[in-house]
Amino acid sequence: MNSSLLLWGMLILPAIGAAWVLLPGLSVQTILKLLVAGVLAVSALGMPLIWQVFAAGPVQLVDGWLFLDALSAYHLVVLLVVFSLSSLFAMRYFGFEYRSGIFDALQARKLAALWFGTLAAMVLVLISGNLGLMWVGIEATTLLTAFLICVHLTPVALEAMWKYLLICSVGVAFAFMGTILVASCGRAAGLGDTAALQWTRLMAVAPRLDPATLKMGFLFLLVGYGTKVGLAPFHNWLPDAHSQAPAPVSALFSGFMLNAALYCLMRYVPLVEQSTGNAGWSRQLLVGFGILSILLAAAFIIFQHDVKRLLAYHSIEHMGIIALGIGLGGLGTFAALFHVFNHSICKSLGFFCAGRLGQLYQTHDMRSIVGALRTAPVWGGGLLGSLLALIGFAPFALFMSEFQIMQAAVASGAFWSLGLFVLGVGVVFVGALGHAITIAFGEPVSGIPAEAAGWLDRVIVYLPLSALLLLGVWMPGFVIKALEQAAHVLGTAL
Amino acid sequence: MKMLLESLLLALILSNLVLLGSTRVRNYVKVIALQGFILGLLTLLLHLGALSIHTLLLSGGSILLKSLVFPWLLIRAIREADVHASVEPFVGYNASLIIGVLLLPFCFWLASRLPAQLMPTMASSLPIALFTMASGLFLIVARKKALTQVVGYLVLENGIYVSALALVGEIPWIVELGVLLDIFVAVFVMGIALYQINREFDHIYTDQLSSLKG
Repeated sequence: MNSSLLLWGMLILPAIGAAWVLLPGLSVQTILKLLVAGVLAVSALGMPLIWQVFAAGPVQLVDGWLFLDALSAYHLVVLLVVFSLSSLFAMRYFGFEYRSGIFDALQARKLAALWFGTLAAMVLVLISGNLGLMWVGIEATTLLTAFLICVHLTPVALEAMWKYLLICSVGVAFAFMGTILVASCGRAAGLGDTAALQWTRLMAVAPRLDPATLKMGFLFLLVGYGTKVGLAPFHNWLPDAHSQAPAPVSALFSGFMLNAALYCLMRYVPLVEQSTGNAGWSRQLLVGFGILSILLAAAFIIFQHDVKRLLAYHSIEHMGIIALGIGLGGLGTFAALFHVFNHSICKSLGFFCAGRLGQLYQTHDMRSIVGALRTAPVWGGGLLGSLLALIGFAPFALFMSEFQIMQAAVASGAFWSLGLFVLGVGVVFVGALGHAITIAFGEPVSGIPAEAAGWLDRVIVYLPLSALLLLGVWMPGFVIKALEQAAHVLGTAL
Repeated sequence: MKMLLESLLLALILSNLVLLGSTRVRNYVKVIALQGFILGLLTLLLHLGALSIHTLLLSGGSILLKSLVFPWLLIRAIREADVHASVEPFVGYNASLIIGVLLLPFCFWLASRLPAQLMPTMASSLPIALFTMASGLFLIVARKKALTQVVGYLVLENGIYVSALALVGEIPWIVELGVLLDIFVAVFVMGIALYQINREFDHIYTDQLSSLKG
């Protein structure tokens, strides 16, 4: 099938899905099944496209408005995996809420339509070759996901949504200002109307772009998109939004929405670097914000009692780790991109298990969720596994990518960064390990029915967990090749 | 024409200072309406050489949206959410004004650091655009009410719009993308007007939106 059909299909199919679920008269179960079917269909369209990019090089369409190269194709893989798993879990999670009588058809319709909309917006971010269009994608993501937070209209959910919307809308405005500054550089370098924001055209004239304007633009972009990534000190919205949203939505937030914004920053790094003579100016900024995020998250992780807030602070930490890796360059870029996949899979799994255990225990307080391994072996085991992986237990894949980032720090002589990174990760390790142990092995609370897991539960938990274990001990050749190609886009050959 | 442009920019500076020193919510709405009108005229002025339906629509659209629709929505929100007349600052009015006066030269300095790749007619407007952004950001941070934060966001957005005119004025589609930011404003105002924020919290002070901590 030709690639233009596939690309358009990935944008149009979610729109059809959104319209479909809004039809009157559908039952909750039908809507949830449509949700899964739609997302899996979009993933099926994406697979041949991604394969084509890695095998035969970038795809460019509609005068360069749509563009897919190794970096975006790699992120597309992460997006599709996270969305597919989250949709399966959403069916399980909201199905339970429906049977408990707290989820009706109206909410299901709203959820599914927004879910499809978010999918389309995030796909748009990744497949747009124009930095203006990419910004539109982030803008749309921000609006749509805001309403996903308050599927259940409670005062705290509204509060989280208001905070999220206010802080991130300022971020999106800053990102727009940065985009304008970049466009003015492009125009001054002789690019035409639409080419002034077309990434490939900008890269071609990168050495001629004005460094001062571009630097100022990057600062605006860093603050703007950085707010959506959740980099400290712009992270204030993140723990609230992640903890108040329904668990499947939190999984999307942490599993891909943060990465989508970080991907936008990644697009600008090689531009700025080439324009400023590869002096590492933008990379140093990323290292600084990355380390700040790791340290700040570590300080808050120690004192958390709410399991979803704990996972949210882990997101800040891991976004910091990825930013640090990109900032170090070389092997660091490779490791950071590897970490993107590992973190997204692991964090989605964490939110799935935390959400399901929350339904069983009726609380997200870790002092009450004890003995989960005996109460609900599958979900409890999943949460234990994901928490261990998040704090860097070997042989999970996250340990491998973090280890590679440390190697990169040594190789580039960034010993201060290395020291602070190890300090932060060490604090997280000690702080979160205690939580993980009581959740898993404590004496079970009486009165909570032991749960027999179905096949769907096993798929949702064991699939990501085994992927993390497998990638930790053995990386297949094609994965290494794909990562190298993606890292190459960021301007660092290995 | 240069005269007219400079008078408009001067009016923009003054309107920001009025906002910083204002004590009444309704004054905010009046100033916002005025700023929308200034923005519409600036758009026209920029394209005076080559007027097209396109630029007329952009200019007319921004006047309609920013100086009629949003002020009307804001007034309605004030009425429906029963917002008290005073703006209730974290930072006092005099202090705000002094900060504003200090911000102005800083913005001129910042703009002077950029090599001029600007629209020839709009070269003098970048520092004022930055000042408008800074004022908006300050209002978001330094005023307590949800409604006044929305006004601050509108001012920030107006500053970005003028920057866009100055930097990429002849690439209309990029300037028009900025209209998407207005959707946020609409959502904010609706959020207040549909009394969700008001009813659920029984108040619209964002500094009390703090049951989620740590």
